[in-house]
Amino acid sequence: MWHLGRPMLHGVGCLGGVCGACPISIRLPNQMAPKTALACQTLVAEGAEMAFLPGDASKKEIAPLPAETPNQNTLFQYYPETRRCVACGACTSICPQGIDVMASVREAMNGKLAETADRFVDCVMCGLCAAVCDVKVRPHRVGLYTRRLIGAFQENEATQLKKRIEEIGSGHYKEQWAALMEEAVH
Amino acid sequence: MSDIDVSKERVNTSRAARSQQEMPRLSAEEKDDLVHRYHPDYKKEAYATLRFGPNKGEQTVHELARLLEGESPVPADFPALKPAHQVDILIIGGGGAGATAALTAKAAGAKILMATKLRLGDSNTVMAEGGMQVAVSPEDSPIRHFVDSLKGGHMANDRVLLKQLVEEGPSVAQWLIDLGVMFDREDDGNLSLRAGGGSSLPRLLRCKDYTGLELMRVLKDCVLNEEVEVLEFSPVIELLTDGKGSCTGAILKDLDNDRRIVVQAKTVILATGGIGRLHIQGFPTSNHFGATGDGLSITYRAGASLTLQDTFQYHPTGAVFPEAMAGLLVTEAIRSAGAHLLNAKGERFVYELETRDAVASAVIRECLEGRGIQTPAGRYGVWIDMPLVDQINGEGTLEKRFPNMIRQFSRYDIDIRKEPVLVYPTLHYQNGGIQIDAEGESTLKNLFVAGEASGGIHGRNRLMGNSLLDIIVYGKRAGAAASKRAAASDFGPLSLDHLSRFRKERSEAGVNSDVVSPMLFPDYVKKQ
Repeated sequence: MWHLGRPMLHGVGCLGGVCGACPISIRLPNQMAPKTALACQTLVAEGAEMAFLPGDASKKEIAPLPAETPNQNTLFQYYPETRRCVACGACTSICPQGIDVMASVREAMNGKLAETADRFVDCVMCGLCAAVCDVKVRPHRVGLYTRRLIGAFQENEATQLKKRIEEIGSGHYKEQWAALMEEAVH
Repeated sequence: MSDIDVSKERVNTSRAARSQQEMPRLSAEEKDDLVHRYHPDYKKEAYATLRFGPNKGEQTVHELARLLEGESPVPADFPALKPAHQVDILIIGGGGAGATAALTAKAAGAKILMATKLRLGDSNTVMAEGGMQVAVSPEDSPIRHFVDSLKGGHMANDRVLLKQLVEEGPSVAQWLIDLGVMFDREDDGNLSLRAGGGSSLPRLLRCKDYTGLELMRVLKDCVLNEEVEVLEFSPVIELLTDGKGSCTGAILKDLDNDRRIVVQAKTVILATGGIGRLHIQGFPTSNHFGATGDGLSITYRAGASLTLQDTFQYHPTGAVFPEAMAGLLVTEAIRSAGAHLLNAKGERFVYELETRDAVASAVIRECLEGRGIQTPAGRYGVWIDMPLVDQINGEGTLEKRFPNMIRQFSRYDIDIRKEPVLVYPTLHYQNGGIQIDAEGESTLKNLFVAGEASGGIHGRNRLMGNSLLDIIVYGKRAGAAASKRAAASDFGPLSLDHLSRFRKERSEAGVNSDVVSPMLFPDYVKKQ
């Protein structure tokens, strides 16, 4: 767009393929149908037709983390429509990151939250999956919330981290610091 | 076969022989010599002396000096300053530091407004790949982390700031985990740690090569959950002061409606990030579209001091081919995992995990002395041999740990599991910035700064993984300190007195350039 002399503001972000600001629809001359992509990660070609797609307009639920270990009902409480998925596959085909979105929605429906979380590691939150869903599922939001549930409720604790926090809190390093800061100043 | 193909073939054929090769570490003297001779920070003609203002007489690069000494977009006859918003804290910037500050301030009960130039989350944070340094392992300690960072920073780090950074690392890591950040884990639940350049032990927490994206997704989600009022596409163009050395608010520009928005705030937290899009010394950059150092110029005008404003980080391995990827990062974690750097002859030329300034200098040396490889677009670079990572760590390592890297190159039909790619230093980070005290307050009262916009923590060279830590530790500190201050303060009068003073000093110094700052965006539009 810049090369064509057009300034851009909306639709530009990291320019590195991770912020999700620039989803486009693009059809190359030899293709039947347009495909979605991230503009900053797409090479233009002579004769290509392209349009910038609007940003994510799906509703964000106020979804805090629960106090107790979560299950799929924790998710349905905020995103009940997830259960309505009719497995049409539109979300998967539109994802510019190539995530199998539909599979992960099905996994979330069946309580396989860890699997859903894993699939969404590449998600840039562009929201195209929600925009094309006929039954108004918001897969990217489901994915992120699921990741947060899994992240905050890990089965095995990070014991080394806990121990280090205790050490610091109990003044374990106090003398070493005193000596070091003294030395560092002189 | 072209020269490039011949050279690439040398890399491919020498892989097996090289895999066991030990590369000598540089001695302190050798490193010093290398950096002084080849690092862009030591290129005298790239620097100008500031002619007026808080850092008068000190040096910085021309690109930044022009902006610091630039004219304000706010005219002298700006209409009466009638605030559209009155808040305890105005947070400027919607990246990792701003979001962390917002969450902390909100938890402390402050009334806040967040303003950001693009969208909430559009930042350098989201692009960070390699990880976040936290001294977690039993062999490690905050002391070691401190010493490594001090050495890496050429002993120029602010000791107090650095001590707080390393000491609060473990607790902020726990805070992030409690918010639901999925750091990579070992089977026993402990955090998986990786090595970074200049670190004496593996200390990087990460989420594959999406660490920044993972952090930003979660932080943004939390900010939205907390229903923080956010003005997007609304960059700050001028700070407001009481004329007596305290910050009292700011003027924002509503880009979509071309309006000015006056905000009155008891305290302001500036988290505007870095400067990559200034393309200092003509370098490409790994930074996001909005990284134009806006915070530095408005703060300088308002009378706050900068520190270490003459030092920048050029990440050693930015892509140079394909041209569309120029400047984009090839994460340091790839070198941690064993990838070699090779010149046109297919030979290694530096231990790959020296600090970033040393590795960048070595790459520049190779290219200057004719051992670089020229791309079709005329750039120079050296090879980074990523297939070696799979050879050393086992098939599938790249796929498991670097999905983002594979995806980015595969879009141009380059398979990094099979072939080396070309890299050259890319402008990555502003080592210095606005001077802050232990609580994150600048020399202008009630103006707090967090993240890359601030300076001092990293000295003259930041270690990998210390920036993601910085934004969280100092985002929290600034958020807490600003809340406390706001609770004990009243609104101050809104004035542009500092601007009159700035204009007077500017004309007395004989500066009459037509540069207006903040820059807001780089101008990439081709003139027809």
